[in-house]
Amino acid sequence: MRVSKSAYPLTWRIMDALEAFAAFVWPARFGRAIPWMMLAPALLLVGLLVLGLWQIGDVSLRTLDTSTFLMSEAYTLANYQRAFTESLFAVVAWRSLAGSLIVTVVTLTLAFPYAYVMVRTSSPTIRKLLLIALFLPFFIGQVVRAYGWLIILGNQGMVNEALGLVGIAPIRLLYNYWAVLFGLVQYMLPFAVLMLAPALTAIPEELEAAAGSLGADWARTFRHIVLPLARPGLVGAGLVVMTLSLTDFAMPAILGGGSQDFIANAIYDQFFRTSDQGLGSTLALLLVAAGSMLVGLVFTLFGAGTLAMGRARR
Amino acid sequence: MMPAALKGSAIKPKLEWPTVAVSVKSVNMVYDGVHAVRSASFDLETGKFLTILGPSGSGKTTLLRLIAGFQRPTSGEIFINGAAVSAVPPHKRSIGMVFQKLALFPHMTAAENVAFPLKMRRSDARAIPARVERYLDMVRLGGYGTRRVHELSGGQQQRVAIARALVFEPDLLLLDEPLAALDRKLREEMQLEFRRIQRELGVTTINVTHDQREALVVSDEIIVMDGGQIQQKARPSETYRTPSNAFVANFIGVTNFLDAPDGERRAIRAEKIRIAPTRNGLVGADTIVEGIVADAIFEGERVVYEVRVASLGDTLLRVFDHDPSAHSQLEPGSAVYLGWTAGDVLEFKP
Repeated sequence: MRVSKSAYPLTWRIMDALEAFAAFVWPARFGRAIPWMMLAPALLLVGLLVLGLWQIGDVSLRTLDTSTFLMSEAYTLANYQRAFTESLFAVVAWRSLAGSLIVTVVTLTLAFPYAYVMVRTSSPTIRKLLLIALFLPFFIGQVVRAYGWLIILGNQGMVNEALGLVGIAPIRLLYNYWAVLFGLVQYMLPFAVLMLAPALTAIPEELEAAAGSLGADWARTFRHIVLPLARPGLVGAGLVVMTLSLTDFAMPAILGGGSQDFIANAIYDQFFRTSDQGLGSTLALLLVAAGSMLVGLVFTLFGAGTLAMGRARR
Repeated sequence: MMPAALKGSAIKPKLEWPTVAVSVKSVNMVYDGVHAVRSASFDLETGKFLTILGPSGSGKTTLLRLIAGFQRPTSGEIFINGAAVSAVPPHKRSIGMVFQKLALFPHMTAAENVAFPLKMRRSDARAIPARVERYLDMVRLGGYGTRRVHELSGGQQQRVAIARALVFEPDLLLLDEPLAALDRKLREEMQLEFRRIQRELGVTTINVTHDQREALVVSDEIIVMDGGQIQQKARPSETYRTPSNAFVANFIGVTNFLDAPDGERRAIRAEKIRIAPTRNGLVGADTIVEGIVADAIFEGERVVYEVRVASLGDTLLRVFDHDPSAHSQLEPGSAVYLGWTAGDVLEFKP
């Protein structure tokens, strides 16, 4: 009997050929090793990262000899002492931490309705438009986008020109804290929306209809049903936005104009301006520690299950 | 008419004029160019159990959602207890609804689910726990209040959904095929449970289903829908015995059509046809035809025969034989006689 083409499509034949090839190269008795083999590249990369951390840890314990510009041979905690006592670093750390918190709250507040409309709208056109508006900024890098804001928000920028038309004197919009936070929120919004959308999709629309029929108006449906059920998405998105903002470099550098440094900028300065690798490494390690503690704190408060990790609760 | 037992006695039946709980008046629903409901009109008396029965796409669910208030009719008006409700959002209607997928809140316990409508309707917080317990008892889930939804079995989840829909004593209970996903045994058990609770509370109920057996078992009245139109509204026995048209006859029960689909149609139910290996076995039948058994399916309490009848244009007639012990089971290929009485033939105008 002849098998018709549609009953055994070309893609299946290609898969057959690939499987036959795989069986030749990698006989079935090696099969048990395959999961480990697939893990290998990732393990290798993480291993390299750990090696790098070891190196940074080593350098962080040496001070820079300013006469010879060489690292000291002996180990010392002097860098850590400087990092914790010099007020400059306290200011930078506080600025980054407070900034990333504000950015997280604002971003989630703006991203939630965006994601909600995108998921719930019955019009495919609106959904497509929202998706395009979301992805367009992704194709423009962070640095280019920051420069874009320089053009728009500068003293002779579009915003100030528009204000001039209605008789308002130019306002200095750039090179301050709020400009950095604004840039960060704008940069983080797509990440937050993309992480919230699946979480909201997972909430059956019927639950909201049910809440309505049980007497809840939309505000109470939102508070009692949508918000609690969206919590995993909110925690995940918040975590990503928070860590990305905390460690951001480009926005503080460009929109802050050097006056609004975050931790990453301070590390950059130590490595490439003062060439103090020791202090730079110390700051880098402290940033890693702060970020890890933050993630750890969120996991203990909300459980790792919020990122759909571990087994689904039954 | 008064029941026979009351005739001539001194006890007069309590006069309670039936009041209309739900009134649907020439409602149309068109969306995306589809005419989902066409000029639907019916009245439902307070305390009655109505089932809207129809195949998928018949508009039955749309009609229910219109009554619940999730959609607004394109034209026409719906009255609940005399008040027009088209402009009233769902949360301001007094309607309890059990959804197809139950829509229990997964982040709450069974008791919290049941308490939710009370909280949303601003009941006295002190009275809520006792009331929730009472309704959980009613659906036989006393003591299960602290369980999370996912810790309950399918049947138990059904019961929580019922308790949640009824705890605030709504004017109207809507059931959107909540039993469709259950296995047969549990479904039949829950049908009786719905009936019991509905009788106990006397709440006006509208149930939507495609299961004709469920409609016959649970309802005071059945509306049969097809193509967005109401085909018949009648009591279950009436719907079964005197279907108003060929669609209803075909949808409820197993019906054999005896002639061409154009012109006046005549039909006979499978259980009204008698089958015998000889003409003598069909004494009393008005019509007797000859046929050949095409298939015989043993179903335990009955045997279902498919009999090819040459004199009726070679059609296959389905016959239920509920007493196969009277003769041994007839084998496929054997020649048989089918007979029925004239009174059992259903006739429909085209």
